[in-house]
Amino acid sequence: MNAPVVHQPETLDAARALLEECARGRRRVGFVGGGTALGLGNPGSPLDVLVHTRGLRRIVDYAAEDQVIVAEAGVTLGELQALVGERGQWLGVDAPNPERATLGGLVAVGAFGPRRARYGGMRELLLGITLLRADGVLAKSGSKVVKNVAGFDLPKLMCGALGTLGLIGEVTLRLHPRPEASATVLFAGLDATAVVNVVKASRLAQLEPSSVVALAAEPGRYHLGLRFEGFSAGVERDVGRAIELGSPDQGPARALNAEGAVQFWHRHDQVRTRGTLRVRVAVLPSQLPVLEPSLRPLLAGLSGAGLAWYASLGIGFLSGAPVPGAELLPALQAGRAGVRELGGSLVVEAAPLPLRESFDAWGPEPSAFSVMRELKQRFDPEGRLNPGRFVGGL
Amino acid sequence: MAPPIRSEAPVAALPKKLLDRFAAVVGADNCIFEPEQLVTYECDALPHWRARPGVVVLPKSRDEVVGVVKIAYEAGLPVVPRGSGTGLSGGAMPSAGGVLLGLSRMKRILDIDLDNQWMSVEPGVVNLDISKRLAPHGYYYAPDPSSAQICSIGGNVAENSGGAHCLKYGFTTHHVLGAELVLANGDVIEVGGPVLDTPGYDLRGALVGSEGTLGVVTRVTIRICRMPEATRTLLATFASTREAGNAVSLIIASGVLPAAIEMMDKAAIDAVRAVMGIDWPEVGALILMDVDGTTVEVELTAARAEERCIAAGALSVRQPKDAAERDAMWRGRKSAFTAMGRLSPNYIVQDGVIPRSQIARVLTEIARLAEHYGVQVANVFHAGDGNLHPLVLYDAANTEQAHRAEQCSGEIVRLCVAAGGSITGEHGVGVDKAAYMGEMFTDADLETMHWLRCAFDPLVRFNPGKVFPTPRLCGDLPGKYQAHPAEVAGKIGRG
Repeated sequence: MNAPVVHQPETLDAARALLEECARGRRRVGFVGGGTALGLGNPGSPLDVLVHTRGLRRIVDYAAEDQVIVAEAGVTLGELQALVGERGQWLGVDAPNPERATLGGLVAVGAFGPRRARYGGMRELLLGITLLRADGVLAKSGSKVVKNVAGFDLPKLMCGALGTLGLIGEVTLRLHPRPEASATVLFAGLDATAVVNVVKASRLAQLEPSSVVALAAEPGRYHLGLRFEGFSAGVERDVGRAIELGSPDQGPARALNAEGAVQFWHRHDQVRTRGTLRVRVAVLPSQLPVLEPSLRPLLAGLSGAGLAWYASLGIGFLSGAPVPGAELLPALQAGRAGVRELGGSLVVEAAPLPLRESFDAWGPEPSAFSVMRELKQRFDPEGRLNPGRFVGGL
Repeated sequence: MAPPIRSEAPVAALPKKLLDRFAAVVGADNCIFEPEQLVTYECDALPHWRARPGVVVLPKSRDEVVGVVKIAYEAGLPVVPRGSGTGLSGGAMPSAGGVLLGLSRMKRILDIDLDNQWMSVEPGVVNLDISKRLAPHGYYYAPDPSSAQICSIGGNVAENSGGAHCLKYGFTTHHVLGAELVLANGDVIEVGGPVLDTPGYDLRGALVGSEGTLGVVTRVTIRICRMPEATRTLLATFASTREAGNAVSLIIASGVLPAAIEMMDKAAIDAVRAVMGIDWPEVGALILMDVDGTTVEVELTAARAEERCIAAGALSVRQPKDAAERDAMWRGRKSAFTAMGRLSPNYIVQDGVIPRSQIARVLTEIARLAEHYGVQVANVFHAGDGNLHPLVLYDAANTEQAHRAEQCSGEIVRLCVAAGGSITGEHGVGVDKAAYMGEMFTDADLETMHWLRCAFDPLVRFNPGKVFPTPRLCGDLPGKYQAHPAEVAGKIGRG
C-alpha cells in the first residue's frame, strides 16, 4: 500500500480542480483540516490522495454589523475567534484545540463545546456552505443571512458527515456578541443523582447557564460547573442564586475565582483531548445514574481516566490511556450495550488501532440507514471520499 | 397572468376502484372525492395558486398513512401532504388529480418529558396548543409563527417555520429533535430522536424545511423550553423607517439579543389602527420588541435597548403597564396581515431576507419601486433577522394594476437577493417562489439539493413541482460543469 499523495491547495478553485482531477482518475480522497479528529470513526480504506485544507485560509467577508462571517474551511477556530474578538464578538462554539481545529473540520465532525447549552454547536450556527463535490463541481447552499428557508438545508447535512459527501470549501457562520462577564459556580463531590437534581433545580429556578458540565475522575463523584455569562450585574446575581441551590442535601456550592474557573474548564478540555482512547456517549440527561454502571468497566481500564458530562444535554466524553492488559473491548461493548438500552449511542473518537479494527466506531446501522446509503450514492457514487470511516462503512 | 390565478388543468376523476381502496384504509368519511368538496382543498393560504386533487384522504394514524402512501405508490399517483393549509407559498397546493394527504386528524400528544425537555406529538397538533399544554408546568415551545393558533407542527416541520421570537431562540430546525417519516414506498424510518446526536447523516436537519418533498412526517419529537424568568416589551415609535432601522442596528450592536424585534411602517400601522382599533400613535414607523431572560439581565437589556432607540431618534418608547396591554401590542403586530386584507382587496406578500444592517437602505429602495410601479407597499416584518414582509396592495378587479403589483413584488425579491439575502425567510419556496430559486442558486446548487430529494424519494412522488424551478427526475446525470456566477465575478461569498 502506497502512502497517499498530499496536496494543499491555496484557493477554492485549486481545490475544485484537484477534486475534478481525482474524479477523472477515480482516486480515493481524504480530507484533513487541523488533524484534531482523525481518530473519529472507523480506520477507513486506503487513500490515494490526501487534501489538506490549511491553505484555504481567507476570510471572505466579515459583516460585523450583521454578526455573520464567511471564511474558507482552513481558517482555524482560534484565528476566527481572534479576528471577531476585536469587534466584541465570538463564534459560540468552544470546541477543543482551537489553535489547530479548522472551521471545515469542525463542520465535518459536527463539533461543539460546553457552550452548546446556550448557542448550539456548528450545526446550529452554520448558515451556509460551499461544497466541492466528488465530481469537482462547486455547489452552494444556505445563505449569508440568519434566516433562510430557500432550498434544502445542505449545511445541516454536511455537519457531522465526516467529509464523506464532499469537501467543505467555505462556511458562513452566525456570530454572537461576546458577553461582558463570565463566572463559574462549582458543586463539588456530587453523585450522579445529585448532578441531575442540581441541573433540574437550576432550570426550575429559571437560571440560564451557558455551560453545564460535570467532571469526574471516577464514576460517582462529580464536580459540576455551571457557567454564567452576560452583563456583569446579571452574572453576579445568577451566581448568588446558583449557590443557593447547593444547600443542604446537594452539597455545598461556591463561586470559583477567575483562576479556579480557568482551571476547571481546562480540566474539561483535557478530558476531551487527552488519552489515546476517547469515546462520546449520548443518552437523556436524567439517565446519568442508570448510565453510570455501564461506563465503570471502561473507566476502570484507563489510566488518567476522565469523564466530562454535559449535564443539560445528556452527552458525555470519556478518555484516558489504556491500562496495560486491560480488557477494553468487552468494556466498550458493555458501555455500548448499556447506552443503547437507554436509547442512546456510543461513538469512538479515538482508539488504538487494534481496538478500532475490532470495535465499530459508530455502532449498528441506524433505522434510516437505507436513506443514508442512498445519499452517499448520490453524492459520491464511486465511494471515493473518506471511504469506510463513517456509519455503516459509508 | 394577473390577477394571478394559476389553475392547473382539470384531470379525469380517479377510478372508483382506486377510491374504494383509499376509503378502505381511512374509512369512507375520511376519503373525499366529490368535486364540490374537493374545491375546499384546491389551495392553501395562497389562494391564487390552485389545483384540484383527485382525492383527499384524512388518515388518523401512522398505519393509515402507510396504507394510503402504498396505494398511491402502486398507482403512480403524486402525494401532497397538508397540515392546516396555512402556508403562504403554495407548498400544500395539490398535484392535479393526485392524492392530498390531510394530516389534521392526527393530533395526539404522545409523550411529554419535562425533565429532559422534549415531547413527541402527531403532525396535526396545532402549534399553540403545545405551548398551552405546557404552560401550567412553566415550559413552552419556542417557534411562534403568526399563524400559531391554527398552523400544525407537521406543517412547521415542512416549512422550517419561524416567527417573531426566533431571533433569539432559533427556528423550527433548532427545536425538532426527531421525526418518524413514511417514505414514498411506505417504508417507515426514524430520524433523530429525544437523545441528541444520533450517529449518521443529519437527516432530521435535512428533513426540516424540505417542504413535504421527502416523506410524510407522522410523529415529531420537539425540544421544549423553560419559560424565562422575565420578559419586557418595548414599543418605540419613529418618524420613519430609516430611524427605526438604525435603532435595530444600534440595539444589536450594543450586545443585546432581544427575543424579538418587529417593525411596522406607516401603512401597516395605519391599517392596524383602523381595523383592530389599537391606540398606536400616528407615526412613520414603530418597533415592537421583547427582551427576556433572568430578571437582572432583562432590566439591563431593556434599559440599553431603550437608550439605543432614543439615540436613533425615537419619538417615544413605551412599556406596557400590564399583561393585557402587552398582549394587545402583540395582537396588533400579529394581526397586521389580516388588517391589510380588510383595507385592500388583494395583496401579495413577499418574504425576502436581507442583512439586518441594510434595512433602512432596502426599505427606501422598496418605496422607490412602489412609486415606480404605482402601487402601495406596506411593510411589517421581523427586523431583528432582516426578514421583510412587504405587502404589495392591489385590486384584482384592476388587471393592469394587479400586473404592476406582481412586477413590483418580483423586483423586491431580486432586491433582497442583490443585498446578499434570501428569497424566503420562513414562508418557504413552494410553488410561488420556485421561479426565483435561480436568482439565488446555480444549476449545480439546485442539482446538489435535488440529490437529497432523490435519496428519499427517487420517483419524485411527494409534492412534485415544488421548490425547484424546473421539474427534475432522479435518473439525471450530472451536467457539464459551469462556473458559479460568484466564482466568475471573483468573489465567492454568498455562502
